[in-house]
Amino acid sequence: MIFGGIDAGSRAIKAVLWDLKRGEVLASGVCDQGVRQEALAHDLFQKLLDDAGIGADDVERTVATGYGRNLIGFADATITEITCHARGVRHLAPEARTVIDIGGQDSKVIRLSAKGMVQDFAMNDRCAAGTGRFLEVVSARLGVEAGELGDLASRSISPAPISSMCVVFAETEIVGLLASGAPPEDIVAGVQHSIAQRVAGMAGRNVEEPVLFTGGVALVSGMAAALEAVFKKPVRVAANPQFTGALGAALLAASHS
Amino acid sequence: MKDSPARITLEEWDARYAELRVAGLREPWYGGPLRRHVDEGGDYRLLRLRYDNSAAALRLWNFLLTEEDRLKEARRQGKKLVGAMKDLGTVPVMAYSLANVTAFYPDGAWWIPCVMELSSRDLEIADSLGIDESFCPVRAMLGAFLTEAHFPIPDLLTCNVGATCDDFSAIAQRLNGLGFPILWWETPHRRQPDSAAGEESVPLPGGLIAPREQVDFVRSELERVRGAIEEVAGGRLDDAALRDGIRVANRMRRVLAELRQLAYSAPVCPIPALEMLIAEMLALHFCSDREEAIRVLEELLEEARRRVGEGVGPLRKDAVRVFWVNPVADLRAMNILEDCGGRVCGTEYLFSHALDPIPEDVAPMEALARTALADPMVGPCSDRADRICRDIQLFGAEAVLVSRIPGASHCAVEGAVIHETVRKRLGLPVQEIEVPPLCDAVAPTIRTRIEALIEIVKGRRKP
Amino acid sequence: MSSVLYTCPFVPAEWILAHGLSPQRFLPSPSRDGDVFAGVGEGICPFARAAVETACTEPGAAALVATTTCDQMRRAAEFAEAYGRLPVFLMHVPSSWESAGAHRYYRGELKRLGRFLEEVGGRVPSSEDLAAAMEDLDAARGALLDARPGMTSSQFAGAVAEFHRGGVLPAGLPAKGNEVGSGVPLALVGSPFFEGHLEVFDLIERLGGRVALDATTSGEGSWPRPFSRRRLREDPFDELADAYFGSIPDAFRRPNSLLYQWLKRELQTRGIRGIIFRRYVWCDTWHAEAQRMKEWCGMPMLILEPEDDARLRARGISRIEAFMEVLR
Repeated sequence: MIFGGIDAGSRAIKAVLWDLKRGEVLASGVCDQGVRQEALAHDLFQKLLDDAGIGADDVERTVATGYGRNLIGFADATITEITCHARGVRHLAPEARTVIDIGGQDSKVIRLSAKGMVQDFAMNDRCAAGTGRFLEVVSARLGVEAGELGDLASRSISPAPISSMCVVFAETEIVGLLASGAPPEDIVAGVQHSIAQRVAGMAGRNVEEPVLFTGGVALVSGMAAALEAVFKKPVRVAANPQFTGALGAALLAASHS
Repeated sequence: MKDSPARITLEEWDARYAELRVAGLREPWYGGPLRRHVDEGGDYRLLRLRYDNSAAALRLWNFLLTEEDRLKEARRQGKKLVGAMKDLGTVPVMAYSLANVTAFYPDGAWWIPCVMELSSRDLEIADSLGIDESFCPVRAMLGAFLTEAHFPIPDLLTCNVGATCDDFSAIAQRLNGLGFPILWWETPHRRQPDSAAGEESVPLPGGLIAPREQVDFVRSELERVRGAIEEVAGGRLDDAALRDGIRVANRMRRVLAELRQLAYSAPVCPIPALEMLIAEMLALHFCSDREEAIRVLEELLEEARRRVGEGVGPLRKDAVRVFWVNPVADLRAMNILEDCGGRVCGTEYLFSHALDPIPEDVAPMEALARTALADPMVGPCSDRADRICRDIQLFGAEAVLVSRIPGASHCAVEGAVIHETVRKRLGLPVQEIEVPPLCDAVAPTIRTRIEALIEIVKGRRKP
Repeated sequence: MSSVLYTCPFVPAEWILAHGLSPQRFLPSPSRDGDVFAGVGEGICPFARAAVETACTEPGAAALVATTTCDQMRRAAEFAEAYGRLPVFLMHVPSSWESAGAHRYYRGELKRLGRFLEEVGGRVPSSEDLAAAMEDLDAARGALLDARPGMTSSQFAGAVAEFHRGGVLPAGLPAKGNEVGSGVPLALVGSPFFEGHLEVFDLIERLGGRVALDATTSGEGSWPRPFSRRRLREDPFDELADAYFGSIPDAFRRPNSLLYQWLKRELQTRGIRGIIFRRYVWCDTWHAEAQRMKEWCGMPMLILEPEDDARLRARGISRIEAFMEVLR
């Protein structure tokens, strides 16, 4: 039996087909988000079906999650991304007790019980500081790819303090730092530190280990290290971190079927 | 006629009103169809809300939305108007003890931008005075005073300061700076008595205590308020009158206590969250008519009793029981909770001291001083968190929703303390939302948080 | 001598000194790694946060005294007490000041503070101890003011900060003499400083101005009036309370008319030609005064939101540069 999960995030749509019998992901894919969300999600989903060599009728049930979940009309149900991420993490790393999810335009910290159930969560989905958007800004300003940020940051001796609460003004601050001769590695390290601090502010006290890092930003090198430095705890990056929510949605589709 | 409890839209209320009329609905002078408040009053937000469909709820809404008329009528009749700011429940008890005095909270203007969907432009006026959106929405009060469009300028303005919130204090100071005289009276930060120093411990409503020195100080401050009321009213506000005033206030508080107990603990929620929020707000200053406020609440209580007896209500039987902390600037937020499958089971709207009975076994001014010192804002966040935990257990809530008031100076820290305390002591999930005066743009954000909270609780309910 | 840290001008240094402890009115340094406010998101004043975090990591600190002149500090003190690992005393300074009751309450709070100071290692003060401390610090404040004309505004600001921190006059103060400062006379009004913010004085001087009036919560505007010698001898405690509670102009007071009366006088007396108004993000008290003061003062006024990390940022510098161009 095949189940579908769609995570319609604010920057990207992710989808997963889950094969319950074999207990594995049959296909997964991602596309940029856009105005015609349902059409984009539908096209992505169709591509997965084609890749897997199956038809829409072969999918037993589909759950949509994420910011745009209510716009995915062809989904059978919607569940929030908090619950879906938790379910995905329970599958990938059942021992995890804290999930840090940083996406393109939001971030969340989810506390899990020993059984992998959500106990508590905190979200930032109103402010770009503390999200992947901030990294995009610094990448663009420095003219480097996101994949190079980690290497750059690792060379930093003295991360530049970034004080602006707003990413727009932080960009101005970065320009000022460059003009004053601050090394790019210090700027990158400063931005990553700033994001990590914002997430830590959300997380509060008593962050329980193991800590798992999910979301697209987990793919950006250096971010896990920045989180470790702030949380003073090991932070593990999930396998295929961008798909945790979609995977969780598919697993929940299976369990609700 | 469909009498099953339900939450209905304004359009549905048009039909419902006609049905009730045919069935013989008897209304007070301020009664009528809800829609008239949109058409005549510009209260456009009513078009987007969902309401309880009972006659008692209709009366409640009409009572709330005609307060401006009552204040104007009071002025026309020659009554003296006292605008009490910030204390939320004490000064009006004093003022209403005199027959020729009416009291109200200009603070209530904070709902005007919501109810009128910003068409009143009060927030723009506040902006022009340098009081922008980083302040609490109560800044709308500045616009209300300058335009005089919502209430007559009171004969006496009092403002509670000291251990209150900075933004309200600053807004009131701005008002004062614009030429509105204010009688400032102080409440100190409530602290524990120092028994080692021989400080007498005085019991306050709500199970709190404070040192005798603090109670005496607040009493002396309230004596200044009493003197000012007497001067404006042209008559004595003696202890006998105050005792009567306290008794009437307590009568209302008892009705409200029973209503809260029913609404928040019944297996099926009898009265939706929005009507309960308004009902609780009546405790502050009786919506400018003390006796009528009690009658309105009594009718709502009767409806609640009937529904509880029949085991019916407007919400699902399995609605998740949520304890709500802090009042909301946009009434729609209360609807959103219920749309997502929740129900309010307990509240702490920052005026628990207006809900607890005022002591009647001590001298009236002593009683009022103790009540004022029991204000949740006046003490440490931990006291507030303690009370919230007790009430959560009393009402059987399964989760807590903390509604941050945009710009309010206390919210950043209080939310964290409440969250930590509830988590440690009760192990319940806590979520924060921020509700601006119009929450439509952030409704998806609010919904996601509430839905996730509901999902957590439902997950915990499974064996 | 154990030190007692505080930032609020309504905490009398003399009272702490009379208890045999060292009063340290400090400028916070921005802390990035403090954990006192873990879990508190947006909305807390950066000064309140930094003040608590600085105090909680200060070596040799016996206690922190916070006051209710600011709701943010009132709340921050609760966190400091719970998570800060330092004894904290929260003193209620009445916002209202026009009633005898408010004055009495302030006196009561001073006495309660005294009991706390004894608990953290202070001695029971005698009237003579207090009178001596009052004379010393009053004389020191007078000496600083006398020395001011011979100092640049940044030198004076540094001397004031050093005096606040140690309770003694800095060494090498110039003798009373002629005005050395030139440049357009400005007033600084508003929120207190972080440690590194004093560089704004240097910047203003480099740009052709001088701070002729520091009416921030860190400056000489936050000092009590000179003590009455007679009352100091007769009843030092009473005189201390009167001077502190009765004379310090501040935006938090209700009404805050004293601040405007005092400012009007000082702006005129010192020939001020422009105001730089400072307020932190999330500081409602000063924020609410910005527009009002701009409308009231009748002169150019620049509103700054200082950064919370003690460094003057490019946009702050640009604003001050533009402002000085207007004034020159």
